[in-house]
Amino acid sequence: MTPESTSPVPATTPQTPSVSPAKPVQNALTWIMTIKSPEDYQKLQGLVQQLSSAPAGQNPIAAAADTLGIIHFLRFVFLENNTKLGVMTIYDGDFDTYVNEFVNQVGPIFDAVLAHMADAPPLPTQTYRAQFNAYVRANDVPVVMFYSAYPTSTVLDIWAATGK
Amino acid sequence: MPPLDLSDIQGFILRGYNFPLARHLMLQINDASEGKRFVGSLINGNARLPQITSSVEWGAVKPTTCLNIGFTYEGLKALGLPPDSLASFPQEFVTGIAGRATFVGDEGENAPENWPSDYATAQTHIVLSLYAQGSEVLETATAELRSAFGQQNALIELGHLDATDLPESRVHFGYVDGLSQPCIEGGPQLRRPDMQPICPAGEFLLGYPSQNPDFSYPVPTPSILGRNGSFSAFRVLEQDCDAFEQFLRTEAPKIGMNEEKLAAKICGRWRSGVPLVLSPDTDSPNPPLTTEQINNFDYVPSDSSGYACPIGAHMRRNNPRGERVAGAGAHIHRIIRRALPYGPLYDPATPNDGIKRGLVGHFICVSLQDQFEFLMTQWVNGGTFAPGLYGTKDPMLGDNDPEDSKFVLPTANGPQIITGFARFVTTRGGAYCFLPSLTALNYLASTEMIKA
Repeated sequence: MTPESTSPVPATTPQTPSVSPAKPVQNALTWIMTIKSPEDYQKLQGLVQQLSSAPAGQNPIAAAADTLGIIHFLRFVFLENNTKLGVMTIYDGDFDTYVNEFVNQVGPIFDAVLAHMADAPPLPTQTYRAQFNAYVRANDVPVVMFYSAYPTSTVLDIWAATGK
Repeated sequence: MPPLDLSDIQGFILRGYNFPLARHLMLQINDASEGKRFVGSLINGNARLPQITSSVEWGAVKPTTCLNIGFTYEGLKALGLPPDSLASFPQEFVTGIAGRATFVGDEGENAPENWPSDYATAQTHIVLSLYAQGSEVLETATAELRSAFGQQNALIELGHLDATDLPESRVHFGYVDGLSQPCIEGGPQLRRPDMQPICPAGEFLLGYPSQNPDFSYPVPTPSILGRNGSFSAFRVLEQDCDAFEQFLRTEAPKIGMNEEKLAAKICGRWRSGVPLVLSPDTDSPNPPLTTEQINNFDYVPSDSSGYACPIGAHMRRNNPRGERVAGAGAHIHRIIRRALPYGPLYDPATPNDGIKRGLVGHFICVSLQDQFEFLMTQWVNGGTFAPGLYGTKDPMLGDNDPEDSKFVLPTANGPQIITGFARFVTTRGGAYCFLPSLTALNYLASTEMIKA
């Protein structure tokens, strides 16, 4: 075998766009859950407020999302006169795989939220993963139109480009 | 953590034997009682029959053979494991490798329906892996095992596959292999130090804290069955050496590179085993890398751009080390590789010899879903887990299609791109195996489990 002795080789096909993936990398989740009762809504509201008001770096959901590096945006909203909770996110890649990773990281938080839902799957989620996945899928509102300003960029691509 | 009970853990989980020969026998159990009797005979101290090798150090003198065993879900069922216990195994193991084939990219020519019936298939109940110091002891031990399981057709040998450690421990594409393995807490020390964290025992053994915070993998019940066990994806991977060499010859000149450098870029190491990150321009650095150096590196921060080792190179994909990747970290998806080449050494002077050759062995982990399958779906066949992959697949192992395959080599002047190549590795057999502890083998051999 011989060492490579040539000087740096100019790129023969330097156009970055030509190596774009064949299909968009982003996906949407619109997960709508039915809350058990007004009392459960009150408790959920307290839980969500507690999470969202946590000091930077101490919100476990945000910390897990930062660790996973696949979630572009995530928001919780109460819907239909506070009878439903919506979790809406734009994420990269394969749903099942990364939900599984999320459950490994913050399963107990999912459990705390799901305990207030009318049709919750068996808990804890770390034990009943398949049922949890099926529950999320069953309550995911299908997308009828999707637009992205950067359909081929992952969270990690954006972080790399922005120096995060 | 209490010390590991090395006498209870199958040997090939915690250490590589470095034996020159291996023979994998694929068995089917037709009679539960005889199946139990056979399993019991492998752990009862019978001096005339190879016994299951544990992880206990053997001192200065190596044994002439080592033996390990894995059971598929169907195999555990055929042994009469009670339904409650069967239901306590993880779903991907229950489904089995054939049922998960599409998910991990074993489609088309790679699909289980195309696997030879004498390799591991959906009919396999037991994978018996025998390792030997020489061919004579291999044949003797095989004959002893066959006489033990072959009586009255209670256990049928569906087939066997022999593997050989090729000169310099190279694999068929010509690379020196086996340089990097996880270091497990409580297990043997690595021969070649690296910068990667020590893996918690529960990343490879059931019953210990795992690599995930506050979550360890459920131990199949009863605990004497599950604890100290592990899982493996047993794989038969056929390698198309002609196509790989032709690819190097054709593509290297197009990007102004010699064939050996392109081979290195595809793998992440030169074929000599020298990693690109430590030696980007030559496979023979002067002074040569020592044993202490050859695996002691990371991709970041020194090569975060991938100019030395492409981010999509086989080795960097399958073990991204400290690189930032999608998911909860690269270190939590590691696997132990216990595989050797099968088929004779490839000779480029006599191409198209028609001989089947490849790699066969066990890829060991505590969670087939979170380790082996994650690796195959996200890192080998997925193209979004790290920045700069552009949706590509593993150039060596991925299920590449000439219609859309790409390999991207980042350079300071922009990416060089190779397109239009097919896959070089075809899956020819496989089984998801449970690797029980010796306590569990005793339990499986007993009649007590029926009452559990």
